[in-house]
Formats: sequence, C-alpha cells, structure tokens
Amino acid sequence: MENVAQNKGTSFVKSLLNAWSWLFLILILGFFEIYAQIETGNTFLFRVYNLQSIAVAASQILLLALGLTLVIVAGHIDLSIAFSSGLASVVIALVIRAAGPDAGWMIVLLATVAGLLSAALVGIVNGWLVAYLSVPSFIGTLGTYGVARGVALIIAGGAVVSIRNSYARDLGNSNILGFPIPLVAAMVLALVCHYVLKHTRFGAHTYALGANPASVERAGVDVKRHLIILFVISALTAGMGGLIYTFRFSAGAANSGEPILLYAVAAVFIGGASLTGGQGTITGTVIGAFIIAVIQFGLVFSGLPPYWQFVAVGLVIIIAVLVDQSKDRIVGGKA
Amino acid sequence: MKKIIASIALAAAIGSGSAALAQDEDITIALVPGLTTDAFYITMNRGAQVAAEALGITVEFQGAEEFDPVLQTPVLDAVIARGPDAILVAPTDSTQMIEPLRRASDAGIPIITVDTFIDDGSYQDGSGDGDFPLAYIASDNIGGGRMAARAMAEAIGGEGAVYVSNLRPGISTTDQREEGFKAEMAENFPDIQVLDTQYNENDASLAASQFQAVLARNPEVKGVFGANLFSALGAGNGVESAGKSEDVTVIAFDAPGSIVNNISSGLVDAAIAQHPAEIGYFGVMAAYAHLKGESIPTTIGTGFTVIDAENVDDEATQKFIYSE
Repeated sequence: MENVAQNKGTSFVKSLLNAWSWLFLILILGFFEIYAQIETGNTFLFRVYNLQSIAVAASQILLLALGLTLVIVAGHIDLSIAFSSGLASVVIALVIRAAGPDAGWMIVLLATVAGLLSAALVGIVNGWLVAYLSVPSFIGTLGTYGVARGVALIIAGGAVVSIRNSYARDLGNSNILGFPIPLVAAMVLALVCHYVLKHTRFGAHTYALGANPASVERAGVDVKRHLIILFVISALTAGMGGLIYTFRFSAGAANSGEPILLYAVAAVFIGGASLTGGQGTITGTVIGAFIIAVIQFGLVFSGLPPYWQFVAVGLVIIIAVLVDQSKDRIVGGKA
Repeated sequence: MKKIIASIALAAAIGSGSAALAQDEDITIALVPGLTTDAFYITMNRGAQVAAEALGITVEFQGAEEFDPVLQTPVLDAVIARGPDAILVAPTDSTQMIEPLRRASDAGIPIITVDTFIDDGSYQDGSGDGDFPLAYIASDNIGGGRMAARAMAEAIGGEGAVYVSNLRPGISTTDQREEGFKAEMAENFPDIQVLDTQYNENDASLAASQFQAVLARNPEVKGVFGANLFSALGAGNGVESAGKSEDVTVIAFDAPGSIVNNISSGLVDAAIAQHPAEIGYFGVMAAYAHLKGESIPTTIGTGFTVIDAENVDDEATQKFIYSE
C-alpha cells in the first residue's frame, strides 16, 4: 500500500517537472510579446507571418530531432542525421534535375522515394554497426556522418544542386489553411513517432532498452532488429528534413543538416530526454524545437545585438540539463 | 517574477540604445551580413553606420553566427517581420537564398545584395529566378583574383606551380576569386602551372595539412593563393611548418588584423584587401536614394589595395585593415 502511495507522489512530481518545458516556452513567448509591445508597440505573437516563420524554422530542427528522440530514448545517439538529411536532399534534387524542367508530380514523388531510400541506407548501416558489430553509437554514427557527407558531396560534384520545379517549390513554400507545409509534414511525422513511442510494444521496448538493455534481451526481444529499425526511423525523419530543405530552397545541399544538428540534439534534451536513455518524449522534443526557434526569431525580432543568440541558446541548454539532473535526484534515477 | 521584470528592463535598456539614434528621418535599413563574427562584415557595418549617421537614419546589423543559408534564413525572416524600409544582405548561397529573399521582396521590401549575390548577380534585367534585388554592391572579385595572380606571378618570377586554397564551391565571391586568379594565369603567365584547387571547409588546420600534402606530391610548388581568411592563414601555417617560408609565396585575400600581422611576421607575403567599409557605405546610400525615389545603378564595384611588407606599416594603409 505504502509503495503505491509513494509511486503516486513520485509521478505527480515527475509530471510537474516534465511540464517545465511547456512553462518555459510560454515564458519566453510572453517575454518577447511584452518586449515587442514596449519596444515597438507591435505584437510578436499575434502575427501570422511571425508564427509561420517560427514554425518553419522549428520544423526543420524537429525533422532531425524526431527519429533522434527514439534513438536517445533507447540509450544511443545518432550524429549521422545531419548528413542522412544532406544525402537525401542531394539525391532528391539530382532526380528532379535529371528529369528536366517540365518534371511533374510523379517525378517529384519518385525523387522523394529515392531520397528517403538513400537516407534509410545510412540508417541500416548505423544499425548494423551498433547492433551486430557492437560499435558504440557515438563513434559508429560519427563515422557514417563522415561517409554520408562525403558521398553526398561526391554525387553533387561538391556543389549545390539547384533545381527549377514549380511543384517542388510550392511544396516547400506554400501553406495549407495558413499552416506552412514543412510544419504540416513535421507534425504528421511527430504524431506517428509519438504513437509509436507511447502506444506500441515497439515503443515500450525502446524505453526498456534505454533503461535496462539486459532485461529486454532476457524478455526475448530481438534487440538487434530493434536497433536497426530505430536507426532507420532516425535516418528517415532526417531524410524528410532534407526533402523539405530541397523543396524550400529549390536546391539540394550536402551540408544542409549540419548547422542544425546541434539544435536538434539540444531540442531532444530540452524536451526532457536523458543522456543515459530511458527517458524522453516526442511532445518534449516538439517543445524543445519550438523553444529554440522562438528564441532565434525573437532575439532578432526584438533587435537585440546578434551575439545574444549564442548566450541565449547556450543558457537554455544548460538549464535543460540542470532540470534533467534535478529530476533524477528528486525522482531517484531513471523511470 | 522579479527575474522576468529585471530581464525585461535589461532588454529594454539594450534596445533603447539603438532607438535613440533615429533622428527626424524615420527610415530603418537592415544589414544582414553573411555572418556576424567576421572582421569583413564588421567593417562593412562600420561603413554602413557612417552613412546612417550622415543621413540621420538607422541601420540595424542582424545576422547568423555562421556563413550558412540554414542559419541565415530564420534571421532574415525575423528581420522581415520587423518591417525595415530596405534590406542590405550578403546572401550565403547564390541559389539557396533566392526563395527566402523573394519573401522579403514579396513583402514589398527593397533588397540590395552586398558582397555576395543571388542567381547570376545581374539584377533587374528580366532574366533568372533571382532578378528582383535592386543592386549588387561588392568588390569585383574576379578582378581581385586577377590582382592576386599578378602579385603571385611577380613574387615567384613568372614560373612554377601554384594552387588555390579555397573554402568550398558554391559561394559566389570565393568562386570568382578563384576564377579570376586562374584566368589571369592562363592568359598572361603561361609558364605558371595552376594545380587542382584544395577545399578546406573554412578550416585552417585542414588548409595547413592540405599544403603539406600538395608539397609532398609536387615538391616544386611555389605559391598558394588563399581565397579567404582561413584558407590563407592555414596555407601560411602549412608553409611555415614545412620550413618552406623562403621558397613558397602565400597571397591572401582579405585583410583582417590576423592576416596583416602575419605579413609583418612573414607568414603571408601579401594580402589583397577589399574595401568592405565602402561596400557598407554605398549600400546604405543606394538604399536611401531608392527610398527617396531616385534611380540607382544595378551594380557598384568597390576597389582593392595590395598590402605587402613594404606598405604594411604606412599610415595610408591602415584604413584598409578590417576592424575586429
């Protein structure tokens, strides 16, 4: 009996701590709104343009971060996402360009499939390295980071592959009922990942793998297969990021994912994931990505000197880790 | 709560500094550099602020921390949201920044590109996707590359093997420097062999080891043209650690303090200094003229100065060294 009561108390504290990222997002939105009102007399929050811009920036981070969340929950890391995204971006652009200027829907669809397949390949290699060769994921995916980057640069001829295709351009730059398509794509994928992580056996095994890998093995789960699927999911969501990138900028760029890799990792940890695995949620990651995007947009919108961006994003990451640690201390270790 | 109020107060205090500069003219021009932490763009901002002061308008400097379209686009979006009267921007990619800049143009904000360009760099001529900016203001980078080639040819006595150390392909300015360098060599210095370009991703230590690799393969290499800051610093460092300072000439493009100090020390033999302050000054002036209903030229080319051991300490040279 006593045990049950204690569990209840613990889970209440836990949910409170988990809500901190929501609170934080609301706080910074409030801060920028008040600041904008005082400084310019304009609203920050209630302008469609601002919200759309923030949403698109967040989506690009989020697409890298979604699959990564699953990998981190399982106690691993995937650094290669920056370049599975870049590889997909280049492959899509090359296919569209090869088809000529009048390429239609079918070609764009075909290019999408080709791009995602190329990304999936990186995921399979990652999973194989980690599951079958027991290479630590940090090292293994650092290796495939280099390989994917090199391959993308080689097939792109070292340059940016520009395309002219009105379908692709519209996909990257139009809105559905006011919602930018990159946001819609990221949200659909977020829902899928959320469902997988929270409501399937696969998700439960993923948490268990992060918390206590030996027990999962004992329970008869095919851990090797599970790991490969995880890394493929991670590569695929990153590949979607590369796809959206190519559509937005009408260009395939091998380096397209590189500068946001750290933001993606930060988004996952701000969202409550733990370096040691077993913790983390998709909702948390979504909020994490939005926190970063809001800060980046808000600081420029407020006209603060550009160097404040470094400080702000850095501080948020530190705060995230501090909260994560105190969570462990209060609740007593992993979930 | 106290903390929030304090930070709002702090933010307001920081913000009011720039607001106080605005005088009768209620014109604000945004300057979006390729990156905010580079001496070249900081010097450009210095020139822009001189023009702003002269006109009594405000110029805001806002950019990303790295030279990258993925990072520049959100900054640009936020700058557009502030609704400046005009935007001066150094696009971080000639292709990828077309769509993000089109949004500004669609929002009715005049665009002038500085230092780098989008599309083919000739605007308002009815050709290309990125035809909408009003003007392109920059050094003539092809001309600068040619100047570097002439300085190199003179230093190595008109014969031998040289190569270009560059950061990566696809950046309009550095591509053009390389193009100009190679063209001048091909046209006027047939006895100089230009080896394959080495790309270093803007990493000086990679540029240094690339020099050593090139040297190992081609022991007769006599010169390196570093097409940007880190390419030149890295190549210079590679030359020095190979003990080849006497035999190998390093020509740098750009003249921040770090390069200029190395001219004094002998690591770098000469630097082709652009005039970024001029770019900023004329950028603001052109935007202002446009906002006042005057016509402006679609291209404005700014000059270069060669800085070497002979003139590096001259009083007249100092204004060409970039602020840091």
